[in-house]
Amino acid sequence: MAKQEFDVLIIGSGHSGGMAANVLTQKGISCLMLDAGPEVNLATNRATRNPWELPYRGMNKPGRLPHVVQANEFNANQWVDEKEVPYTHHPATPYNWVRVRLLGGRSLFWGRQSFRMSDWEFKAGEKEGVGDNWPISHADLDPFYSRVEAIFRVSGRKEGKPHFPDGNFLDADYGPDSATVQKVTQIAQSRGYLVSKIRASNGRNGQASSVNLLLPDALATGKLQIVPNAIVRELTVDKNTGLVNGANFLDRHSKQELHVKARVVILAAGSLESTRLLLNSGLANSSGMLGHYVIDQLYGVQVVASVPEARGGTPPEGLMGGTALLPRFRNLQKGEKNNFSKGYGMMIASGGAAQPGFFQDYGESLQKKLDLHAGACMTASIYGERLPRYENHVRINKDVKDAWGIPVLHADVKDSANEHNMAKDAADTAEDILKTAGWDILSKTDKFHPPGYSIHEVGGARMGDDPKKSVLNKWNQSHDVKNLFQVDGGCFVTCGWQNTTLTMLALAMRASEYLAEQMKTKAI
Amino acid sequence: MQAIAAAPAVPAIVTPALLTPQSVQAQSPPPRPPGPLATGKRDAVADPVSHFFTAPRFAALHKLCHLLMPPMNGNPGALEAAVPQFLDFLVGQSPTDRQQLYKSGLDLLNSRSATQFGKPFASLDATQADTIIRPLFVLVPWQFDLPKEPGARFMAAAHDDIRVATRNSREWTQAAIAAGRRPVGAQLYFFPVDPVYPPAPPAPVYKG
Repeated sequence: MAKQEFDVLIIGSGHSGGMAANVLTQKGISCLMLDAGPEVNLATNRATRNPWELPYRGMNKPGRLPHVVQANEFNANQWVDEKEVPYTHHPATPYNWVRVRLLGGRSLFWGRQSFRMSDWEFKAGEKEGVGDNWPISHADLDPFYSRVEAIFRVSGRKEGKPHFPDGNFLDADYGPDSATVQKVTQIAQSRGYLVSKIRASNGRNGQASSVNLLLPDALATGKLQIVPNAIVRELTVDKNTGLVNGANFLDRHSKQELHVKARVVILAAGSLESTRLLLNSGLANSSGMLGHYVIDQLYGVQVVASVPEARGGTPPEGLMGGTALLPRFRNLQKGEKNNFSKGYGMMIASGGAAQPGFFQDYGESLQKKLDLHAGACMTASIYGERLPRYENHVRINKDVKDAWGIPVLHADVKDSANEHNMAKDAADTAEDILKTAGWDILSKTDKFHPPGYSIHEVGGARMGDDPKKSVLNKWNQSHDVKNLFQVDGGCFVTCGWQNTTLTMLALAMRASEYLAEQMKTKAI
Repeated sequence: MQAIAAAPAVPAIVTPALLTPQSVQAQSPPPRPPGPLATGKRDAVADPVSHFFTAPRFAALHKLCHLLMPPMNGNPGALEAAVPQFLDFLVGQSPTDRQQLYKSGLDLLNSRSATQFGKPFASLDATQADTIIRPLFVLVPWQFDLPKEPGARFMAAAHDDIRVATRNSREWTQAAIAAGRRPVGAQLYFFPVDPVYPPAPPAPVYKG
């Protein structure tokens, strides 16, 4: 007996899928949400343990998650098992794809930094003459950003700068700046850089996830059904209309294949997982752009300095502590000359420790140095923007299949001179600021992690007005298949230096309201 | 566990073999409240058995552990924390590139020691050992970018492993507690999640 047809099938339950369900169900639209992973309860599924109580003394099972630098033995079970769902890349061009398959997805674990993107990102082509523009501007997204900020209870300090747009903030109590943060601020300001503070989602009850902020309201409407452990293999198409009409999925445990019917399909499985599903389904790629322009952010560059007055373990009160955030300051002015395009944000944290590798020493002599600098360090790190490039792409590797027999992705993503030059500039700039303050540089590196590490991978199904150059239109709707939407990060045209979640949420809200309107008028 | 606890004290069908004389029943201890059994931790009761490294390599690793992480500031050193035995296990379980890094690195210590002092690395005094290992220390400004030169790469990796394995040991935690310090390293552990069926609701309490 054929089961019911849902108005909308949402694939993925993280922030973007959760937002789609939240918006659509509250407008009376029936939704089915499938997620590849099981439901978890963070309150009961975690418990404090000493490292020595774990099988590998907290040092992780060797070789278990070779691409997840963030993995340790405590959190290893939260990431996707790379043997169960592998992906491939050339050995010389590593790609670190960091995934979660649990109900709520990566929204369960994200870092909560919540920045808006600006027109220096949305209109990058106009502003810098590099890359393409998005088909939308900050003004289009502004009202949606504001509503998302209210739901996620974002706190921040307003700055009134168009390249670092203010939001609908809760007041944030950052406390008085320590003397070292004040010094960094003065030096950075003297060079013309804006100095601000972290903007973060406070959420509720210690969580800012889809599971606690978005899905409960959707479920309360009675219009949402959620089915976990459902691994979607392909979207299905009505041969007469060319429209999608549902999806085939596999039960995660039994691998039984089932089909579900829906009038509209929304992909929200994450930029690359949604792209994989479209490629495996042979859909939405008349432009040939599907899988291309994969981007993420550049993390790793680090400069550490020691503050002489803070050494010895007991720094004077008010000297250390806190952070300074320098939003992007490069290539904001027309005619500015650098040997790279785009820019990076910089975080300078006060009160850190030195690492053993900063000294060519060992044993007691090393320990004395570590103790001397403990709590006396200033650490500068960056959030860099990588360039969107057509060559950087993912494609299906038909020779490798996951545990459910679904062909996997092959990532072919490389850095260019632009990324290396940016990293060098960032390390030099951080060194300049810390040295000017009179502090001793302990360590400096312009090295950075392979693509993917930031867990901010976006693109692969970029949006645009021209169906020949983009996969989605400005409403996150497929140019080719009008009842198919993708509301995760796949639509990004540029990645910016800013953490991507807030923008994904705003885009998902905007696209879902557009879809609801279209369904109301029977246009879809 | 809960199903057993909720079961009636006497089976519904009583066979003659299960009947107990009244006098013996009166001597049996009172029933304990239901709950999980108290179990111990392996590191508290047992010593690791080494399998992976050859005797000369293990002896060099043992010496290296003592040199790099001796007892300091009231904390146990790597030897007290059984780090050589733990690394024998960990490296033995590791991908071949890590195994090879350790084998070659320990061989390097022994071969340089034989050349310079005519004896194995494990037999050197601290000054002699320093002349062997100090050249292998290079600056590592970023922990994710180890040196390319094999000897320096081994030393950077082993140094980090020895320090972490010592700090993560049961002995380190105990020393911190004994000294009234907060133990380091405890974190939220995320259990494996794979419920084929949703968690069962609590079993009903049997009320006779």
